[in-house]
This record gives sequence, structure tokens and C-alpha cells, in this order.
Amino acid sequence: MNQADVSKLISQLRIVVRPKNRNLKNPDGPEGRLLKLRKTVTALVKHERIELYYNRADEARGYAELLISNAIRHGDRHKPTMELADYWLLEKQLVHKLFKVLVPRYDNYNVSYTRMYKAPRDYPGMYYKKSVLELRGNPYPTLCADQTQNRNLLHNVLLDEARKEFRREKVADLANKLNVATEAPKKTVEESSDTIKPTAI
Amino acid sequence: MNVNGFCRIVSKKLPQQFAYKRIVTFSTKPAQQQQEATVSTPTLPNNNTPAARKPIVPGHYRFVYPEFLPDPKVQWRNTVREKLERLDMLARRGQVDLPEFYVGSILAVTSSDPHAAGKTSRFVGICIHRERCGLRARFILRNVIDHQGMEVLYELYDPTIQKVEVLRLEKRLDDSLFYLRDALPEFSTFDENMEAEHLEEGAPVPVNDIKVVLRPRPWLERWERQNLLGVANIEQYIKDKHRKSAAKVQKPWEKYDLMKQYRATIPEEEQKEIFAEVHTELHTLELQRKRNKRKRSFIKPKQLA
Repeated sequence: MNQADVSKLISQLRIVVRPKNRNLKNPDGPEGRLLKLRKTVTALVKHERIELYYNRADEARGYAELLISNAIRHGDRHKPTMELADYWLLEKQLVHKLFKVLVPRYDNYNVSYTRMYKAPRDYPGMYYKKSVLELRGNPYPTLCADQTQNRNLLHNVLLDEARKEFRREKVADLANKLNVATEAPKKTVEESSDTIKPTAI
Repeated sequence: MNVNGFCRIVSKKLPQQFAYKRIVTFSTKPAQQQQEATVSTPTLPNNNTPAARKPIVPGHYRFVYPEFLPDPKVQWRNTVREKLERLDMLARRGQVDLPEFYVGSILAVTSSDPHAAGKTSRFVGICIHRERCGLRARFILRNVIDHQGMEVLYELYDPTIQKVEVLRLEKRLDDSLFYLRDALPEFSTFDENMEAEHLEEGAPVPVNDIKVVLRPRPWLERWERQNLLGVANIEQYIKDKHRKSAAKVQKPWEKYDLMKQYRATIPEEEQKEIFAEVHTELHTLELQRKRNKRKRSFIKPKQLA
């Protein structure tokens, strides 16, 4: 049982964090692992959507999230945060993007800043699982097919039925009116108004 | 049988404690300053978000009561156990005064000891280490008595502890002072009859930047590898080969390893929740301590003639 480190305050991540990190097989050890992940984080911030192996994407995701959340928390006047950005973003123009584009974009977000999808792997090919990692609010078209117009979606079935019923009522209404109009010359105006009322209710 | 006993204790204790806490854990009103700000600039957005509210739990609580934060290791987390432990800790704090102290502070601990002459023993020493959390929180005191280095490990919530006095409240440059074991004895020698030094209220805890002098090798640990700030003469005793091996084990990339830091800390939102839960009782205990201190500081003058 160890004490929690209290020297730093970090915001809670909105993604699921594994209890242990993946070592991402590397001859240079933990330092090499970070070098590898730096490339991924840089690419993510640059392209906003990348496709890569699942393990590496999942590891890089936490670092990208924390980088953005630190940038939001401390701003660009905070020296340690700037050092972090300098370390994690290999292309230095992306430091500007982080503080001037991503921080305003994610300022009021209640959800995670990144999204990860499982991607199909090529067959035959490497066995490793693949995934797509993207920043939320990116300019690309969405990856998930838009299912809202699916005919078999329960909401759409119900809406269809409601529409049909509405139309049926309208037609019945119209027919009633027509009947009244054809019988009107024979009867007085008061009686005709009585026959319409029940349909209106 | 054990389980039954535990359940009985819990069922007795829980309802009243929780009921008490649910009422006064955190403020639901926005802070006054915020209100003023919104009045002067009515276009300010997000008036009602939780971020706009000023928290009532002071920010230094995580330094003063680090043992209230659970172990960050996910496999060992158990929210129910943590909550019960916090209740027990508060109950114990109601019985005995456990003041704020840090590594480097000088303490006097009085504890029951069946083998001591008066059945109690008092040990004065410098706190060289604090570790563990919850009810298992513990610290090590060190002193040199009759030219012999002595260390006593106390559990903070041990029921045999009768009194904890802070004789000098200060911090040192390092997080743990195990190197005092290899330092000259005068750096860990403290008078047993030392008077308590009172700090002004609200003053920041002073950091003692004393640099201790190590005695020559062999040492208990390889201090040259630990980047110690509070040691004066480490260069005097190490050779090139030590320097090389020390450089080899350095991990300069760890300060950039954000996920490692994240896994070693409790996130801010969770800390707020925990301290909001225990804040009221800790605060009342603090006020009580202040009152007692004021009482003690007034000594009735004696009639001498």
C-alpha cells in the first residue's frame, strides 16, 4: 500500500485506462517506447485521424488525452506544460495547433478528446488487431455509417406507423367533410356543424 | 463470527455517519466572488457549471492528509473499504489529536508500552519517512540516543498511540530522509526535552535547506544514484565508476511519461469527492485543536513569595 503522489494534480481521463501499461516491445526499453509513442501522438495531432495497430493506438491515446487536458488546465503560459508539448510534438508547428486550435475546441467538452475504432485487419496479413484513432471534432466525414435513416430502426418503424395513422385520420376527416358538403343543401347549417364536431374532437 | 461482529459495528455506525455527511459535505451555493463577477459582466457564460463554483475544501488538504487518498493501484482499489477506512480514521482522530506533520518535522510520540516503567514511552525524533495509506499509514522517527542511532516505526492510527506532538514543523528538501542513517550522528540528534516551537497561524510550512554530511563508504544505499538535494558531500566519496553507473540508471524521460504519473496519482475530481466527504469533521477537529492550543498558551502566573 503506497501513498498516492500528491505533488501533481491531474484531471480525470474520460477514457478507460488499463491498470498497467503495454511495453510495446522495444530494444531501447521504456525510453524507446516513449519515442515510438511520440511519433504516434504527433501524427494524431497533425492528421487528426490515423490508422494503426490497436496496442500502439491504445497506448498513445492516453498520452494524447493527457497532453490536451494539461494544455487546457494550465494554458500556454505554464512552463512545464510547454516542455511537455515540446517533448511530445516532434513537429514544432503543432505546438501552436495544440494551444490555438485544440484547446479552444475541447474547452467545453464533457467527453473524451479522442475516439478509437476497431478496424478490420487485412487477410492474409499480419495477425495484429488494427484500429483507427481520431481527434473528436475533426473535419473528415464520420466513420460510422449513419443509421438514423434505417427503415428497420425501431424509432423509424414507430414514426412510420404514426405517419400512416395521421394520414388515415386526415383522409377520414376529408371524407366526412365531403359527405357533409353533399348533404348540406338538404339540411340546415346548425345540423351540419353538429356532424362535424365529433370528428374534430 | 468475525463477519457478524463487523456487520453489527458497521450497521450501528454507518447510518448516522452517512446521514450526517450527506447534509454538509459541499456547498450548493455559488461562491460570492463568482456572483459579483457575474453581476458586473452579465454576458459571462457557464454561470451554473460546477467549474464556476469555488470549492470549500482547501487545496492544501492533500499535503496535510495524504493518507486519506487511496492507493492509486487499480487492482487494490475497493471503494467500500476505502470509505469504511475513512470513517474509522475520523473516529480515531476524534479520540487522539494527530497533527499535521511532514517528512523532516520533529515529533514526540507517546505510546502505551507494557514493558516501560510507567506503561508509556515517549520517543522524540525526526520523521524520516511516511508511507502507506488509509488505516495502515505509518511513519518512521529517528534519533541518536547515547551515541546509538534509534528508529521507531509508528502506525499513525495505532490505538496504542496516546499523543503525537509536533515539536518543530518543517519540511526538508527530499521526500524521504533515509540518508540520515549514513550521515554524521549530529544530523539526527535531537534533544529529548525539546520545547515545541509554535508557528504563526496561516504561515507556510518552512523548508529547512540544511545539507547533511555523509560519513565515508560503505553506505546502506547507493545515494549517488538518487539525486538527493539534502546531502552536501556526496562527490567526496564517489569515484568515476560510481558516476558512470549512476548516469546509467537515471531515467530523465520519466518526467514526460504522463500515463505513468497518471497511474501514480488520484485524479483531481476524485480527490475533491474524498475530501468533501471528510472535510467537515477534519475542519471541526482543526478548530478544536486551535482552541486547545490557545488554552495551553495561557499559563497562570505562580505566586512566588
